[in-house]
Amino acid sequence: MSHINSNFAEEIKKFGAKDFHLCFNCGNCTAICALSTKDESFPREMVRYSTLGLEEDIKSSLKPWMCYYCGECSTDCPRQAHPGELMMSLRRWLTSKYDWTGLSGLLYKHLSAYIIGFLLVIVGLIVFAAKLEWNQEKIMHFGHLFEMFAIAGVFAIILLPNIFRMWLYTIVRPKVKATVKVYYKAFSELLVHMFTQKRFLECEKSQETQIKWFEHFILVIGYLSLLFTTVFLDWFGSQNMFVIALGYIESAIIFVVTFLFILKRAKKTEALHKFSQPSDWFFVIWLFLMGFTAFFVRLFIDLNILESNFWLFMAHLAVLVQWAIIIVPFGKWTHFLYRSFAMYFAKVQELVVKSKK
Amino acid sequence: MKQRIGVYICHCGGNISDYVDVEQLGKLMAKEDGVIISKDVMFACSDANQKEMINDINEKQLDAIVVASCSPKLHTHTFRGVAERAGINQYNYAQVNVREQCSWAHSDKPMDATIKAYGLIRAGIGRVSHSEALESIEINTQKAVAVIGAGVSGMRAAIDLARMGSHVYLIEKENVVGGKIASTGKLFMTGENGKEVIARLYQRIKEMNNITVFTNATLGKVSGSIGSFFMDVNVGEELLKLNVGSVLVTTGFDFYEPKEGEYGYKLSENVITLQDFNKLIESSNGKLIHNGKPIKSVAYIYCVGNRQSKGDNKYCSRQCCTAAVHSSLRVHEKFEGVKAFHIHRDIRTYGKQELLYQESSRKGDIYIKFEEKDPPVVELKDGKPFIKVKDYLTSKKELTLDADLVVLVTGMVARADSSEISSKLKIPIGSDKFFNEIHPKLKPVETVIKGVYIGGACQGPKNITESVQSALSGAAKINAVLRKGSIALEPIVARVNADACAWCNKCAEVCEYDAVKPIESNGKMIAEVNISTCTGCGICAPVCPTNAIEIAQYTDNEIESMIDGFMSNGDIEARELEHGAKVKAGKVGMMECPEIWNHIIGAINGSSLTIPEIAAKTGIESNLITWHLMTMNRYSVVEPAGLNDEESYYKYKLKK
Repeated sequence: MSHINSNFAEEIKKFGAKDFHLCFNCGNCTAICALSTKDESFPREMVRYSTLGLEEDIKSSLKPWMCYYCGECSTDCPRQAHPGELMMSLRRWLTSKYDWTGLSGLLYKHLSAYIIGFLLVIVGLIVFAAKLEWNQEKIMHFGHLFEMFAIAGVFAIILLPNIFRMWLYTIVRPKVKATVKVYYKAFSELLVHMFTQKRFLECEKSQETQIKWFEHFILVIGYLSLLFTTVFLDWFGSQNMFVIALGYIESAIIFVVTFLFILKRAKKTEALHKFSQPSDWFFVIWLFLMGFTAFFVRLFIDLNILESNFWLFMAHLAVLVQWAIIIVPFGKWTHFLYRSFAMYFAKVQELVVKSKK
Repeated sequence: MKQRIGVYICHCGGNISDYVDVEQLGKLMAKEDGVIISKDVMFACSDANQKEMINDINEKQLDAIVVASCSPKLHTHTFRGVAERAGINQYNYAQVNVREQCSWAHSDKPMDATIKAYGLIRAGIGRVSHSEALESIEINTQKAVAVIGAGVSGMRAAIDLARMGSHVYLIEKENVVGGKIASTGKLFMTGENGKEVIARLYQRIKEMNNITVFTNATLGKVSGSIGSFFMDVNVGEELLKLNVGSVLVTTGFDFYEPKEGEYGYKLSENVITLQDFNKLIESSNGKLIHNGKPIKSVAYIYCVGNRQSKGDNKYCSRQCCTAAVHSSLRVHEKFEGVKAFHIHRDIRTYGKQELLYQESSRKGDIYIKFEEKDPPVVELKDGKPFIKVKDYLTSKKELTLDADLVVLVTGMVARADSSEISSKLKIPIGSDKFFNEIHPKLKPVETVIKGVYIGGACQGPKNITESVQSALSGAAKINAVLRKGSIALEPIVARVNADACAWCNKCAEVCEYDAVKPIESNGKMIAEVNISTCTGCGICAPVCPTNAIEIAQYTDNEIESMIDGFMSNGDIEARELEHGAKVKAGKVGMMECPEIWNHIIGAINGSSLTIPEIAAKTGIESNLITWHLMTMNRYSVVEPAGLNDEESYYKYKLKK
């Protein structure tokens, strides 16, 4: 038995949901969705849960993550209830629920929180640089160290506990009794989806989808390998021609692809780009700025003009820190993890159901 | 006996002649007794043929005509006109339907279609040979109308009737006019106030000098018939006698009154009907307050007392969904922050009213759908409603919700006094207790009582627009009857043979229209038929023990000669029709029973057999055997003879 919470609509609207309560339950969205199946049917069910404010049912569901937002449901909705955008908003809301610090929710709901966060990072960085007496070498060394510690810290303190909470909500509390063997058997699902976003390709069998998937795919690969190249191969300090060239290519991929993404969001031609939230904008713009500044920092090093243009490195560092301690743990970056873990947990659920039969 | 009959068989441009051998039938009919001329024609209804028929009638001195073409619904008046123009009585014409009943129905069996047409045309000839000249019945009409019920429908219709020149007596039971609408606040779609609408209508009524309004008035005895009804009207203590040409009944409806305990009704002050809630909305300002407590959430429960699979109220009341959605919008318009839960079975805000539903969804109203077998349960916790409902839009999930107020969206029911009105005016009542029209699509405001019309919600649930539409349609119908001062009625009515009648009262007992009354004639009592109320239904003829009552155009002579014509045989030649359909040579005529009956009778013979046994014995499919055996049982050719040994099938034997 669930109690209706009519205030939930207002709450979810703060996460970007539009007129979803216009839904009259025709089910066109579910019928047209290429990813929806008989056992895993959405988005109508999620629209219904949201209308009724059944928070617990939404929290324990993986379905918002099963949607890859092709936007067909919103385009074909006879009531303009924007089911696709609701699914997107539910993902934001879930992210805030998984996050034990509560900061995600704060950032999603208040643009000012984002701006204050970004400003604080800049002030901190200036104070810190002043402490190092603007010693370029020391600052660059710090930048490199920061990357390593930030990754480890954010992962251990924020992301890992959040994934644990996601597991709690979707597997433990709904009493999905999975053995270790099941977790092991399903594990490949996690890796496959994390690195290939394979499900995206199933959205709609069209060349357009394939192109969209490819853009996204090379962005993920470019991003991950640039991270690896700068952190473990010390791109900015490396003398190895191969490493240097690799870094250039990776950073170029990032800023070119994200530039295309920014353009699409600005043009709003597709359903999924119609209602960009600040978190969406920050995610693509910061990713663009990171690739862009990294590319030119290395270029300036190679041209030997970085010392006289040290502001560039400072700008790169500012973007990097903002990215690493705001956007990665509390912003849109987390979808990278939650989507793949959702596929993993869904597989676990599926195997448990199958074993019962 | 008519001795000079003309027969015209129509090709209908192939519609008939592709499957029925029209040419050959034309030649065959020429040989029939009394037939002077028999033709097959391309289009019987064409101007050219009509002229030709008139010529034939005049030249050959014909005294009756038979047209075998399409349904009498289409061209009865066309050929009656032909007869009249040629100078013979229009009732000396018979229409035979060989299109809908032969060529169209049996296009797969042209031989059988031709045989059937042969029988039907011969029946038509048989009929006209005994037909009589009849004159239509002229009745004088009073240019006055009684409109019963001064609700919005009655008031609006009264204005139109008066404008068209009739004197209108508007009879209202209550002490004020306006009915339900007068106490309704804002109306949906137009946004007008109900009271103002009524005030405006009343103002117009007062300005017209040919409308007399009686309030506190009830209907007494009614007699007479179309053109001149006599009615007693009790106005207070006074008895008035009115003489009117026609009656429009616009008595309206009652709202369903929920039973005590139905969804907590009357057990809690916080469970009220939509009508009371509307009054609360209109009377509250600034804050919605009920019994001193502010209302922050409202749960509307729909279809209360309607759409019940068991009980009388199986129907949907059409207007309540929109009314409830509109009330919810009114709440949003007048008060801040009131949540609405619509617990419905379907939302039927049809037509433009859909926009109200859309608007309410946009405002965040929550719609929850239940099914009749899982109705919501209203529990009361210290008087505060707590609702449990299985939502069929959320895979029947059991949901709970708190509401400060539960509003029961009640449907419409027939008025408690509708049976009284019905018995006085003889209007039939349906199983739903609303008044019945003759045909919901084709005669939607006419009743079986000539001159009595129904309009508005006394006929069944309607919203204001629909009620006024039907009442105005009734007004227009009435005006068509009364405007000339007289009307012509079909002469197809019952008539009494005074010599044979011994007034046993049987015909009066069965007459549903109260058209038979006893009178004294030549020293004895006999039956007399009121020809203006008689509908010619024929129910009196078979009950008469002395065969003293018959229906014009359906006399025994006519019917018997039709049967004879239908059953007789003739010879037919083999022919191929235009589009390849073939007609075999041989004797034609209607069989007394289908061939298959003979097989079945032969199989059963003296024994008693089950359906599978008969099927096995005759080699005919068992479903066909079943079908025919049931008909044979109906016509007492066979009868059941108990179950077989396995008790799985009935056995059948021949009936002696």
